[in-house]
Amino acid sequence: MNARSAVVLHNVKKAFPLRGGLDLEVLDLEHLALPSGSTTVLRGRSGSGKTTLLNLIAGVTVPTSGTVRVGDTDVFALSEARRDRFRAEHVGYVFQTFNLLSAFSALENVMLAMMFAAAVPRRLRRRRAADLLARLGLAERLAHMPAQLSRGEQQRVAIARALANNPPLVLADEPCASLDARTANEVLGVFLSVCRQDENTLLLVSHDEAALDRAERVVDMAELNRTEARRDAA
Amino acid sequence: MTILTVALKYLRGRLVASTLTAVSIALGVSLVVASVLLARGIKEGFIAGATDYNLVVGAKGSPTQLVLSVVFRMDLATPNIGYTTYRDLQEDPRVEKAVPIGIGDAYRGFRYVATDSAYFASLPWRRKTFALAAGRFFADDPPSDPTYEALLGAEAARSTGLQIGDRFYEGEEMAEYPLTVVGILRPTQSADDRAIFFSLSSYWGMNEVARAMAVKPLTAVLVRPKRMSDLPSLHRTLNVAAETQAVLPSGVLLTIFNMLAVAEDVLKVILVIVGVIVLLYVFVSMYSATMERRREIATMRALGARRATVLGIVLTESAALATMGGVGGIVGGHAVAYLAGSLLGSSGLVTNPFFFDVAEPAVLASVVLLGTLAGLLPAVLAYRTEVAENLAPLS
Repeated sequence: MNARSAVVLHNVKKAFPLRGGLDLEVLDLEHLALPSGSTTVLRGRSGSGKTTLLNLIAGVTVPTSGTVRVGDTDVFALSEARRDRFRAEHVGYVFQTFNLLSAFSALENVMLAMMFAAAVPRRLRRRRAADLLARLGLAERLAHMPAQLSRGEQQRVAIARALANNPPLVLADEPCASLDARTANEVLGVFLSVCRQDENTLLLVSHDEAALDRAERVVDMAELNRTEARRDAA
Repeated sequence: MTILTVALKYLRGRLVASTLTAVSIALGVSLVVASVLLARGIKEGFIAGATDYNLVVGAKGSPTQLVLSVVFRMDLATPNIGYTTYRDLQEDPRVEKAVPIGIGDAYRGFRYVATDSAYFASLPWRRKTFALAAGRFFADDPPSDPTYEALLGAEAARSTGLQIGDRFYEGEEMAEYPLTVVGILRPTQSADDRAIFFSLSSYWGMNEVARAMAVKPLTAVLVRPKRMSDLPSLHRTLNVAAETQAVLPSGVLLTIFNMLAVAEDVLKVILVIVGVIVLLYVFVSMYSATMERRREIATMRALGARRATVLGIVLTESAALATMGGVGGIVGGHAVAYLAGSLLGSSGLVTNPFFFDVAEPAVLASVVLLGTLAGLLPAVLAYRTEVAENLAPLS
């Protein structure tokens, strides 16, 4: 394994069982390595396995075969409970539709992520959450509920939440897809800026030209996923 | 932030549903607590009213009617016995105390009870004590010179508004014999609160038939033997007599309690049904909340929450709802028992709604346990929520 790789996937396959004993293979990946501290954009058409790949790296979807390493840890060698804890402390996840918890304020949404990890001492959590939200331009919105925030602000809260435990790896699944172009550009700018400052490794699913331009690497699922290539050939 | 604070946030987030669920639990628990308190209060009321004397002697007939009419004023008076029965009992060496009772008509629903000063005497073995709130006790006047002085029970005085010195009568035919209020008793939390007491002389004086009788009539005599070992022989002697029967109030109480037991059994079934309905309501509430929240649960899991953590959150929500409902129910149950006790207390059925039963912590613990169990299936659903599956449509 490359010592400077934050993520390494090797011979990873994922198939979902169908009725009648058949399997639907969605991912067949020989090798993928993300350099530590890099920003990589993953692109591909709908159904090409992008989200499945993110879920495999996050450890929420179990591969049919192959290994997934985050840092020095073989994610699927861990028990499920330890994998959850590992994810809380090492992987930040930003969703396309923000997925903020509606009953919690902006500050509480960020603090909630810290509850699942031991990365930030309990007494410092409120301050860290407030600082993160301030860095993302939401210092005046700490007590606001998700419904009281604009979509751009909601996604900034979701980014702050993903960064709450200062994870070495941040995964983002089309974080700007549901934002208008101007807001998407603003949010992306802040997101990339914060990740670079904190030296997080960022894997971003996006079709946005602005994201593609700012990324250090662009990975196309059509080339990465052998299942996709076979489908195209057929 | 802890599992408890997350659970409470979720409850606050759906305030109306949470409040309705807690209120439904509280109503169910209130019903149980109030029923238990009132049932116990009613039993205590019967026991307190009936156990000072060991025998009630009256005319032959229904023993239950005799005790209910003489002790609790809850039934029609039985036929009369002669005053000589009282005299004989007074002279009986086996008798420590005999108290004559005449049950008469009523004034505005408050029963006339004729007796003598012995009825109000403080005795070491008496549970009930009588004290004056105002005025004095009526005089033990001779039959030749009835004073028509009345002593009012607390509720009778309150309801009729009669004051010391007021004269009153019920029905035009009694206008010649008005009673004068000379005293008002403090509340005793018994049937005596609803009674209007006066002397036997006044009782006989205001009744045309009784005035003409050589042997004056009585409704009953309350008897306490000197020794408990005398009770069977007294009981037998009075029962073999042609005109009288002697009733053990404890035996009648047993009959009453047996009748109440049937009602209690029905009540228990109703309470169990109420409990099941409340538990189903908690289950449905938590189930729908969990189903609506699957995406949020998946999000928490994607952020690193363990399955046990989301299980704990849902169970804590159920437990918090049950605790709020349980505490509210116990407070509400006492309030309902207090209100019902206020209504029933004046009719001689006593309850003490402020009495804290040692079983109440157990009731609360049971409510919390059952409420938590009602949330178990929704919690297991939360536990089993598949992360990728529930994030996929939206991510």
